[in-house]
Amino acid sequence: MNGKTNLMELCGAIMIGLLAVIAIAAPLFAPYDPTRAVAASFGDPQGPSHAFLLGSDELGRDVLSRIIWGARISLIIGIAAMLVTLTIGVTIGLMSGFFGGTIDFCLMRVTDMMLAFPTLLLAMAFVTVLRPSLSTILLVIGLVSWTSIARVVRAETLSLSQRDFVRAAQALGAPSSRLIARHILPNALPIIVVMAALGTSGTLLLDAGLSFLGLGVPPPTPSWGRMIEEARIYFRTAPWLALFPGLAILYAVLGFNLLGYGYLRRRGRNTSVTMR
Amino acid sequence: MKALTPFGAALAILALSELTGCRGDSDGLDLPKTAKVLHLASVADVPSLDPAVGYDTSSWGFEQMIFDTLVRYSDAGVDLVPDLATQWEIAPDAKSLTFHLRRDASFTNGRAVVSGDFKYAIERVLTPSVRSKGTEYFRSIVGAEDFVAGRAKEVTGIENPDAWTIIFRLTEPDPIFVQKLAMPFAAAVPREAVDQWGNDDFSRHVIGSGPFTLKEWRSGERIVLVRNPHYFDPSWPRLDAIVQLIGVDLDLEWLKFETGELDVSAIPPAEFLRVMKTPKLKALAEHIVTLSTDYLGMNCQMKPFDDVRVRRAFNLAIRKDKASAILNGRAVPAVGILPPGLPGYDPNIDGYPYDPTKAKALLEAAGVGRDFAPTLWMRADQTEMTLGESIQQDLAEVGVHAVLKPLAWSSLLEAIRQPNTADLFSLGWEADFPDPQNFLEVLFAKKQFGANNDTFYSNPQVEKLLAEAAPVSDLSRRYQLYDQAQKLIMQDAPWVVLYHPVSYVIRQPWVHDYILNPMRPTRLERVWISAREGEQQTR
Repeated sequence: MNGKTNLMELCGAIMIGLLAVIAIAAPLFAPYDPTRAVAASFGDPQGPSHAFLLGSDELGRDVLSRIIWGARISLIIGIAAMLVTLTIGVTIGLMSGFFGGTIDFCLMRVTDMMLAFPTLLLAMAFVTVLRPSLSTILLVIGLVSWTSIARVVRAETLSLSQRDFVRAAQALGAPSSRLIARHILPNALPIIVVMAALGTSGTLLLDAGLSFLGLGVPPPTPSWGRMIEEARIYFRTAPWLALFPGLAILYAVLGFNLLGYGYLRRRGRNTSVTMR
Repeated sequence: MKALTPFGAALAILALSELTGCRGDSDGLDLPKTAKVLHLASVADVPSLDPAVGYDTSSWGFEQMIFDTLVRYSDAGVDLVPDLATQWEIAPDAKSLTFHLRRDASFTNGRAVVSGDFKYAIERVLTPSVRSKGTEYFRSIVGAEDFVAGRAKEVTGIENPDAWTIIFRLTEPDPIFVQKLAMPFAAAVPREAVDQWGNDDFSRHVIGSGPFTLKEWRSGERIVLVRNPHYFDPSWPRLDAIVQLIGVDLDLEWLKFETGELDVSAIPPAEFLRVMKTPKLKALAEHIVTLSTDYLGMNCQMKPFDDVRVRRAFNLAIRKDKASAILNGRAVPAVGILPPGLPGYDPNIDGYPYDPTKAKALLEAAGVGRDFAPTLWMRADQTEMTLGESIQQDLAEVGVHAVLKPLAWSSLLEAIRQPNTADLFSLGWEADFPDPQNFLEVLFAKKQFGANNDTFYSNPQVEKLLAEAAPVSDLSRRYQLYDQAQKLIMQDAPWVVLYHPVSYVIRQPWVHDYILNPMRPTRLERVWISAREGEQQTR
């Protein structure tokens, strides 16, 4: 239970911070417009060069600029989808754990049902029915990934609501809303933060997966997953097209994971957080 | 033959030419060890071998090897050459055609091919219970409508004065009727074989007079043709057998080609650039500009595309050279609607140059605001998506922000045929016959609304020219009239013509005379195989 920041957490925080700066200031960092043809390399992607540090793609677009702008999309989706996930997951988890009984039973069966479907498949089904757009994507990712958070929060709530300080508050006549908001939620917060950090990397991967399958944010918006998908054709002739966005995904996922696990280690809780 | 999406045309032709094959001949075919076998592969099974039924490139590829028609196209071109007819005359009024048959052709069951077999074949196509997709092509024969309606026992307009002569009489002049007789629909079919197996099972037990004959067809596994020893021309075919593996996707096909198991293969998009950059592989690639045109269609009944200025602006804004470059030369930039190589093609037609400034001015004049975001309906396919993004880029330069809408092929076709549904879409058209009518009338006449005229374009002047040109037999006059029609259509700009797809296949060094045709599947009777030098691989 020491409060000292460890190396893991620090690394994660720096990595994510850097990513956030790049994403916010994308217009300053990106050397070119990410959607315009700036290199005359139509149909024949060119490798890294002085003018195009990470090369150019089959439509003459600068890969570096696309990765930088892609960071913005990835972060927006990662964070916004996580907010949707948290809203649904924490609400269901708290309700289920606090009230128990029929409410718990019903909510958990719904959760089980959601868990029974492969996440990616479910997300694909949603995106196919709804029209792909930025808001659809983050909503869909949120809708399919709240289950693990709901379960962890429920377990935490169950254990917290048996604690003396909660019982005491209850004995003093505190209403359920106050118990949840003032006593249970703040104490469940650390675990929620960990879940959120780790979950964000999950949403990033899910977004990349959806984009790879052509169901992500529609073009011309640059997205890392779509960049890899488009690079597939040139895998043998222009491997850098897939390599650099792949590394970008790796970097972001690693950053969020380090942040999450580092925080977890610092809190040193009896945490047996199991991610999907 | 049907609308093809941009680049889809090329793929479809690849699919047919995908008649590729694998080595390893000891697969229970009891062919002699020295047999020359061509190994091919395809993903999908052949839909049908029955010439009355098959209507796709894969079926036609086999049917034209198993059956003979009166006339056919030359190996590399679209000029008609004799098949079972040695000579033919077309009456000056283009209302009757007389064919004289060769007398030495016979079916593989030993019976001589006579004029009655052609009459029977066409009557079969016209029989409603056969559900042939070729019926429409022969309705113009005198008596055909009565036959289809069941009012007549035979088609009176097909006459057989003797066993070696056949005369077709038409209800109206049709100078391109002879082209319809080059389709497998009109191939000679022995009545006794159909009677024996029934209409549905004939496909599995086909008997024809062509250079090859069906030996084995295991659904989803393989189809094997062997040489027909009784073929009328003893110099052909040069192969002993053709083995086509089924259920082999493009990537696997490529792998099998690289190991030498297949003799001919399509080139996967991912490998194309590498093949072109490797001189040794490039030398083995065969290509041909297909008789097809890929285009962006604009629905002329939907706002703002009902304004010709908007349609012209789109024509000026889109860079065709870029689209072709993205396909790495698997396309020739288009200027007009008709593809080069089509008789009647006018090399001097005025296209639209790339001129974004003028495009912007036109859009402004038409009152199209900055918020104009048309939906580009297209096929969900990686190459299509890349092209779509390229078009999106070009349009963004003139302030139009197109939204891509990728769909499955069948859903796309269904959508664009509905009025007021798809405002902007990407499609292609491949010729059935080498005649401008097959493009201009089929795609731009009012009577094709809801069918092939997917831009819902109509212009009374064009209609008049099309009606005037259709019965004209004098080719220079005919082509002149169609040229006038094409020029009017280009001015009205219902299409942004993009490019003419180029079809590519790659063959092994030991495969010779594998000749691509711009309109039809490759004929395999000329193909021959030389000894493989050692274990030379194309890797």
